[in-house]
Amino acid sequence: MEANKKSKSFIFHLSTILLGLIMIYPLLWLVSSSFKNNSEIFVNSYSLIPKHWDIVKNYSSGWKGIGGVSFGTFMWNSVIVSVIGTVGGVLSSVLAAYAFARIKFFGSKFWFFCVMMTLMIPNQVMVVPQFIIFKKLGLINNLAALIIPWVFGSAFFIFLTVQFIRGLPIELDEAAEIDGCNKIQIFTKIIFPLVVPAVITSTIFSFYWIWQDFFQPLIFMSDPKHFTVSLALNLYLDPNSNNNYGGMLAMSVVSLIPVVIIFLIFQKQLVEGVATSGLKD
Amino acid sequence: MKKSISTLLSVILMGSLAMSGCSKNTGSSTEKKVDANAPVKLSITWWGSQSRHDYTNKLLEMYTAKHPNISFQATPSGWSGYFDKLSAQAAGDTMPDIMQMDYSFISTYSKNDTLADLTPYVNDKTINLSDVDTNLVDTGKIDGKLTGLVLASTSLAITYSPEVFKKAGLAVPTSAWTWADFEKDMLQIKAKTGTYGQSKIDDISTFPYWVRQYGTNMYAADGTKLGYDNDKVYIDYVNMLKRLQDAKAMPNPDQWAQISAKGKEAEPVVTGTAGSTMDWANYAVIVSKSNPNLKLVTPPVNSTGTKALWNKPSMFFSVAKSSKNQIEAAKFINWFLNDPEANKVINAERGIPVSSKVRDSLKASLTQQQKDMFDYADISISNSTKAAPPEPAGVAEVTKALTDTINSFLYGKTSATESAADFRTKTNEILGRNK
Amino acid sequence: MSRKKKALNFGNQNIIGYILIAPWLIGFLIMYLIPMAISIYYSFTKYNLLSAPVFIGFDNFTRMFFHDKSFWKSLRVTFYYVFMLVPLRLIFAFIVAMLLNSKRKFLGVYRAVYYVPSIVGGSVAVSIVWKQIFGNDGVAMSLLSIIGIHQKISFIGNPSTAIWTIISLGVWQFGSAMLIFLAALKQVPKSIYEAAGIDGAGYFTQVFKITIPMLTPVIFFNLILQVINAFKAFTESYIITQGGPLDSTLFYVLNLYRKSFTYFEMGYSSAMAWILVLIIGIFTIILFKSQSAWVHYESKE
Repeated sequence: MEANKKSKSFIFHLSTILLGLIMIYPLLWLVSSSFKNNSEIFVNSYSLIPKHWDIVKNYSSGWKGIGGVSFGTFMWNSVIVSVIGTVGGVLSSVLAAYAFARIKFFGSKFWFFCVMMTLMIPNQVMVVPQFIIFKKLGLINNLAALIIPWVFGSAFFIFLTVQFIRGLPIELDEAAEIDGCNKIQIFTKIIFPLVVPAVITSTIFSFYWIWQDFFQPLIFMSDPKHFTVSLALNLYLDPNSNNNYGGMLAMSVVSLIPVVIIFLIFQKQLVEGVATSGLKD
Repeated sequence: MKKSISTLLSVILMGSLAMSGCSKNTGSSTEKKVDANAPVKLSITWWGSQSRHDYTNKLLEMYTAKHPNISFQATPSGWSGYFDKLSAQAAGDTMPDIMQMDYSFISTYSKNDTLADLTPYVNDKTINLSDVDTNLVDTGKIDGKLTGLVLASTSLAITYSPEVFKKAGLAVPTSAWTWADFEKDMLQIKAKTGTYGQSKIDDISTFPYWVRQYGTNMYAADGTKLGYDNDKVYIDYVNMLKRLQDAKAMPNPDQWAQISAKGKEAEPVVTGTAGSTMDWANYAVIVSKSNPNLKLVTPPVNSTGTKALWNKPSMFFSVAKSSKNQIEAAKFINWFLNDPEANKVINAERGIPVSSKVRDSLKASLTQQQKDMFDYADISISNSTKAAPPEPAGVAEVTKALTDTINSFLYGKTSATESAADFRTKTNEILGRNK
Repeated sequence: MSRKKKALNFGNQNIIGYILIAPWLIGFLIMYLIPMAISIYYSFTKYNLLSAPVFIGFDNFTRMFFHDKSFWKSLRVTFYYVFMLVPLRLIFAFIVAMLLNSKRKFLGVYRAVYYVPSIVGGSVAVSIVWKQIFGNDGVAMSLLSIIGIHQKISFIGNPSTAIWTIISLGVWQFGSAMLIFLAALKQVPKSIYEAAGIDGAGYFTQVFKITIPMLTPVIFFNLILQVINAFKAFTESYIITQGGPLDSTLFYVLNLYRKSFTYFEMGYSSAMAWILVLIIGIFTIILFKSQSAWVHYESKE
């Protein structure tokens, strides 16, 4: 019995570790290749230990960027778009979620239905008219065009937060109301502090969704000075602007660092958030 | 509910009214009287490889040194995706002041009214074209408007490596060589040296040449359909490609994708692992730093010996119609075309300079590759016939159809006949929209 | 509450409600509603962005259904992708969740390792990695040649296998589904398993007769989200294969993007966009209607 348990445990750990290695290999490959020199990336492709270390060369040449725009500029653009889009978007979503979950107002069912509908509409449907609207407003090539689609809230976060709020007992609201709070105060004093987990989850998701977004920058940005990191990496793929593979991979690593850091710090909240988001009827 | 519906309707109405005015951009012309020394920032874009970016940036610095009030914002890139980006900028009204333009695309942009007519600047001598061949100038005239100023001329060439040919025991090719000779040579190079005979055959520039050997152009004169009627033209071409690839004398499309991802300077013919490549005549000049020993020869001819080459404007500079700095842009282009100092830096990398004075001033300091290119220009002209009119709108889609149908055949998914017919159907459908 | 207070409260609630959803509403109007209306209009026009749109009736749709092979090809490719990826990913997520559903050491580490791909998988960086690994001169080809299999064409260059490199990227991101399954598995009361065990049910019987049925609501939720998202796939095909080779990875949205921003056929692409909405809508309805057949909802506590 003891041996059985031990061997089961061994098999378990062995298989999970193996699978884990396979899963993590692409990322390990990325980091180790960013340390190799350009030709070794192809010649010695699968080895995770570089023969020639070119860390400084790859990272500094990659950081120089493309066409005179440094990678730092790209990172900064991504930061602006992601932070403003996230802060605005999560705030808008939470406010709307509170209204849908706790306030009986005329048309709320209809508007909530609209929220759900937007989940289904791919934004590619709207991208041509959005392009034209932004063009008329003179916002093409302006970071605002990347921020605006997010800053008014997203269906996913509204939905997530609504479900969360619905899980809070209505007695809390009623008690506060008896105490003389109006709806806004109920929100700020009672509800908001309790939905912090949902807010954190939304914030994290929002940040890395915006950070990694490629389609919208591709359409709305045409001047490299205003490119975000995802669009900039695409530039590195053009062999006539750049055949510095080491630099490209180095910057790919750099682009993933913020996302990974946030993941590591907020792992617990993320996992809980994802897990509970699926447990509704 | 009623309230919501009427709100919805009025919103839609408002929206469509606002958007119905989506007409062409109202470019500002030169009505503003600007102080000649006011600071001006010119945005400029071009395609090329790193060497071109480097010297062109140097040129911009030179110009600013001479005209301190003019500064530049340069956004160069590679060829791939260049016109996608330009189209996007045209659509977003963010076109650069000065754009490098190609013969294949100038119709599209002229007809869409996004390029400025530069005739006034030629007439008032801001741009001096007195040393340029009129025929060449006219290649930039679309529908009576001069929307592109030709910078240099070039023509198709086979750039080969004499070393590799020698290693394979072959004599160097001459202008008399036929496609049969070409195939034989390529196969022999593979057999004797184990490397590719040809780095690539770029269908997009080679196939028009191939078609011209049959006395017609790839596109019909009115730009609404294919210019050749007999699919045998296509079939013979792709069959040759297949024979070369099957013998491994040429890379297959996947291998070529990998090779081309490394840039022009890393192509097999440059590194000694192929005998030749098909490209424009300035190719040897572009890669001269990596390999100074490459030579030029005219592409093979078919058995009828028809002269199919043409003197192609290698590229233009165009000015955006929406540009607010057209005068300064025109002045810069004039300097680029005519100034001997500038052209020393350019060093004929973009092709044979169009100004005869410039050509003369360069003659003394030409490198071997450049001399070869200038000499080749004369040889190719004697093997040329009248150039085809500029490609019609839709050329981007047709190009994709060409590559797709050829690759489909090379991958064994369709027969040559099927691919030929498929290409015809697709192209006629695309060009048919120009009617 | 007095009538007056009730009435005030009611009116008040309306105002407050609309103030709270105002940001979302504004965004909905300018980013969804107006563009949707404009897009419907464009789908009946020929429009290249540089000159005014020209009304052409149903021409875009007839061209799409009868003259455009790329439309059908991209539909086939996208459907293939959806029908291969989603089940594979869900099955994988389920199996791994079952594996991890026990008290073991390092569980948190494994969970994190399996989940990280979901976080970074959508990025351009990872697509670049995939392109390198499966491309010519890449890891996959080198590893295969070590075993003695020499390929002429890389996985990405081969029209038959290119789509699978992209599917593999999707399956790699099973982590988020796995987390949801894990949480759901924990909610299945142990008592049911014990009772079944007493009745003589073996491990696999238990899995198929208890675990899976109990998880069907979560499976359903995942299914809908993943199907909708799979139809919208773009970045992977743009970066890794550019829709090739031979359009074998021409995802619908990539085709749409190309028609819009490479060939500038805004009218036609708008028509394509609405067909996509229709397709997603039909799928969603089918899935929702099918619920009664296979999804077990426990009665609410």
